[in-house]
Amino acid sequence: MAEREYHRLTPARPRSQFAIVSTGNSSLWLGKDHLLCVDSTSYTESYKRFYFRDIQSIIVQKTDRQRISSLILGFCAGICLLFLLVTDNTGIKVLWGIIAGLFGLVLLLDVIAGPSSYCLLRTAVQSEELASMNRLRRARRVLNRVRPLIAAAQGELTPEELAARLNQPPANESGTATASGAAATTGYVVDNPNAPPRIVS
Amino acid sequence: MTPVLLACPKCKTPLPAAVANQRETNPCPSCAVPLQVEVFPALFRRNAPGQAGEALLVDSDASCFYHPNKKAVLPCEGCGRFLCALCDCELHGQHYCPGCLEAGRKKGKIKRLENERICYDSIALALSLLPLLLFYLTFITAPVALYLAIRHWNTPRSLVHATKIRSVLAIIFATLEIIGWGVGIYFLATSRSRSHG
Repeated sequence: MAEREYHRLTPARPRSQFAIVSTGNSSLWLGKDHLLCVDSTSYTESYKRFYFRDIQSIIVQKTDRQRISSLILGFCAGICLLFLLVTDNTGIKVLWGIIAGLFGLVLLLDVIAGPSSYCLLRTAVQSEELASMNRLRRARRVLNRVRPLIAAAQGELTPEELAARLNQPPANESGTATASGAAATTGYVVDNPNAPPRIVS
Repeated sequence: MTPVLLACPKCKTPLPAAVANQRETNPCPSCAVPLQVEVFPALFRRNAPGQAGEALLVDSDASCFYHPNKKAVLPCEGCGRFLCALCDCELHGQHYCPGCLEAGRKKGKIKRLENERICYDSIALALSLLPLLLFYLTFITAPVALYLAIRHWNTPRSLVHATKIRSVLAIIFATLEIIGWGVGIYFLATSRSRSHG
């Protein structure tokens, strides 16, 4: 059997956080030298490839979405239970019981999935939200799997190196200063000798 | 203005090195939102400047197809045209001209540039199954589903779900629906002819 080209990292998740009618799903797949983000509408799929050598940073932010959704679901389940208690009709009691049970089940699944998160992947040309990494636990699992692959492609930064590089001014800062100084007198800047000069007003 | 290399996604404040690569969540120093920040060496890598292409000085040298005044450095691996350093687009060790790169992306010839696919197998399966809710619609949708499944049997499927199971299921369901309609029409016709006879 042929080896699979991609391995699933995250299940498909709706791109919109509060989507009731589906707005398309997003999932993350692991390729040989890249991550593949698949946005699917069931009938079409669009792909974004993030090569390990190009990934600059991944930021995972813990959000309150899960807490809010749990509160809403708990409130709904509570209201249903309240109606169940005040109703005398057995048939309607069963109906309220089923609805409360459904809310309770969704609440339980939401709590089991753990805290929610927002994940941002950055390359030199874009910052992309990874919608399928919407739970902190899953995001950490994916990070633990992907980190060694990115390190193999790019190398690793020591804490000292990271501190030094994040705190140092960019290397082209002096060049820009010279160019802006020249622009003040000439009115144009030559960024690229093979491109027309950029006019500075 | 100094460009911000790393910023909090919530408050956009620059993040210090202390919160990066800690393998756990740390609060943003400004808004205190818990963050896990992974930084890689590519963040500090400078992009290599593009090459302008060398001017053609000797007539015996090959010139670029797109720039007759520039010296050709290599041929395009898609069309074989000679390219100067300016026109050379390198993609994972292969060299293409801009035209081939664009054509490769649009026509899906270069798989790594392909960024969209239509899943005809999913469409065929949906056309064979969903109209079952209103059975009369299958009179039209079943042949369409069968046509799509057979017509696009060899069309590249999803990059991540490459099996033909959806096409096979669509063909089976659509065929059964067509047979069902055939049998139904046959019995309707024979029962009417009997009642008239």
